Amino acid sequence: MIEIIPAIDIIGGKCVRLTGGDFDSITEYNTDPVDMAGKFEAAGFKRLHLVDLDGARQGRIINLDIMENIRRSTGLIIDYGGGVKTDADIERVFRAGAAMVTGGSVAVKKPGVFLGWLNKYGPEKIILGADVKNGKIAIGGWLETSSTGLFDFLNYYVEKGIKKVICTDIKSDGTMEGPSVKMYKDILDRYPGMELIASGGLGSLDDLRELDNAGIKNVISGKAFYESRIPLNPYPLETLARRIIPCLDVRDGRVVKGVKFVGLRDAGDPVELAKRYSDEGADELVFLDITATHEKRKTLSALVRKVAEAVNIPFTVGGGISGLDDVNAMLANGADKVSVNSAAVRNPGIINSMAGKFGSQCIVLAVDARYENGGWKVYLNGGRIPAGIDLFEWVREGVKRGAGEVLFTSMDHDGTRNGYANDALAAIDELVDVPVIASGGAGKLSHFKDAFEKGRADAALAAGLFHYGDISIAEVKNYLAQNGIIVRT
Amino acid sequence: MKISIIDYGAGNLFSVASACKNLGYSPVLTADEKTISRSDRVIFPGVGNAISAMKRIREKRLDNLIPSLQQPVLGICLGMQLMMETSDEGDTECLGILKGRVAYFRKRNSAGIKVPHMGWNIIDNLKGRLFEGIDERTRMYFVHGYYVPGNEYTAANSYYHGSFTAAIEKDNFFGCQFHPEKSGEAGIEILDNFLKL
Repeated sequence: MIEIIPAIDIIGGKCVRLTGGDFDSITEYNTDPVDMAGKFEAAGFKRLHLVDLDGARQGRIINLDIMENIRRSTGLIIDYGGGVKTDADIERVFRAGAAMVTGGSVAVKKPGVFLGWLNKYGPEKIILGADVKNGKIAIGGWLETSSTGLFDFLNYYVEKGIKKVICTDIKSDGTMEGPSVKMYKDILDRYPGMELIASGGLGSLDDLRELDNAGIKNVISGKAFYESRIPLNPYPLETLARRIIPCLDVRDGRVVKGVKFVGLRDAGDPVELAKRYSDEGADELVFLDITATHEKRKTLSALVRKVAEAVNIPFTVGGGISGLDDVNAMLANGADKVSVNSAAVRNPGIINSMAGKFGSQCIVLAVDARYENGGWKVYLNGGRIPAGIDLFEWVREGVKRGAGEVLFTSMDHDGTRNGYANDALAAIDELVDVPVIASGGAGKLSHFKDAFEKGRADAALAAGLFHYGDISIAEVKNYLAQNGIIVRT
Repeated sequence: MKISIIDYGAGNLFSVASACKNLGYSPVLTADEKTISRSDRVIFPGVGNAISAMKRIREKRLDNLIPSLQQPVLGICLGMQLMMETSDEGDTECLGILKGRVAYFRKRNSAGIKVPHMGWNIIDNLKGRLFEGIDERTRMYFVHGYYVPGNEYTAANSYYHGSFTAAIEKDNFFGCQFHPEKSGEAGIEILDNFLKL
């Protein structure tokens, strides 16, 4: 998926954008670059393309202090360009915290100096800036056009080992009239291994889709963000919805824990409730069985079958799932996934055998944990028995063994209605590359947003909140949609 | 109308059967060659792993039968993937109804990609008879780690760190990467479109 690198161009200490490379057509966005960078980071961006336009124009570094301020207040990975001319300049820029430096004019005018940088710092840290006007390389903040053709220029530096290239089509830059997809495609056809960053002209999601289809991995966007033409998101083409999942506790085939829907004939009937939630817009359902009798599997199978006949959204069944026969009974009767919890901690090998037999996509690792003595500790049997293991180690192991999804319930947050355990969720997200369901703590609308943005969860589960009708699923979905989170409505 | 749902021990057949029943049909779950070839519609579901699924298909001698069917056939999820020539999943040889290879999402080389692709995603560029009456960008339920790249038989697209094939149509062979039986009302409509072809 194409990733957007946000750009900040600075003139006189402020964020600006030029149109068509023309210094006379500056659009000033009355924003402080440091604030803007903070906004980008908050929106999930990891990188920043910072251009010292004053520096480019005057041929010396001018706005380096702004980068230092951005470095101090964000964790963004910054590539810096504009006015970097000499060995001493580049040393200063790296020392100020730039991860990469982009060289444009210097690569045209003083190839010896630029190649020296490439040798000294390596191709991971030196980006070739190829600014193109009518097929020729432009320099000096685009005020002059050289006689060097784009491909002669690229050939020369690719042979010398350059890997990263930011290629800007000056004519289209700032016009938002569509990028030069053909030019980028030509470049990639000729240099398939190049880390090409397209720049200029991005004005809509369709433009982005065109670039993505052409195989371009990164594109720089400035104006399109400042003018809200595309959503502020590093992957705006992403379309997968975050999921909202009500959870129902069942015993002996009946839903337990009061569910207070108005107009239900029988608040304990799992089928009626499942339908109700499905009609309200639930994306999935989770049934947690707390039956303790030896008839357990039989009654649960019958319930699963009735639910599968009645609703056409996916659902997961958990609670006491301990062997392949359990999984088989649930899936054969129409469940889409099963969740394993205590049994997997006691015998981790069952995750491997379940995933091996039925596929990772239907094995959810459910984990209950609480924070104590400086760490997150796993609990068994519905939170009654400490397992003596670390949450993150267990999640990592469970996923490695084949779990295709993680359902993490924070016992500290469960029932508090004070919000989800977003820090722990984000740490799990960082650790594993399967979807993560947040559970425990939902109390108001903003908690769902936080679970997705701060906790980076893929789905959020809630029970009481929905059962008592305090907030409806539709309300949650509308709120999230209004806040720019993709949901199915 | 006789509907066969191919039962080769790989998939949530119950929900597919329920969905057909709710539409007023009486499908049979079967691996019997004769029953399948004599039915008016064939549904070829599947979840899980391509290697073991193909093994079971061969054990039940369905590997020659399925590509030779003349009536409308609908592959669902893994069922659609198995209609391709080969799969990256264990370098498996599949049924070869369509040219091309099933690919792995993790190889998309995209930072932070989560596999499986799980949840409700849009389908667009809808073509052909499966999608009559279905709006562009309707959301369907997906759960899969491998995908069919875009090809000349792509009948719908979806997007996950790039585009992929959400549905196919080639002659009498249809396929959905998503689960129509789990995709709410719109999914049921697609299933209905197939059964009414």
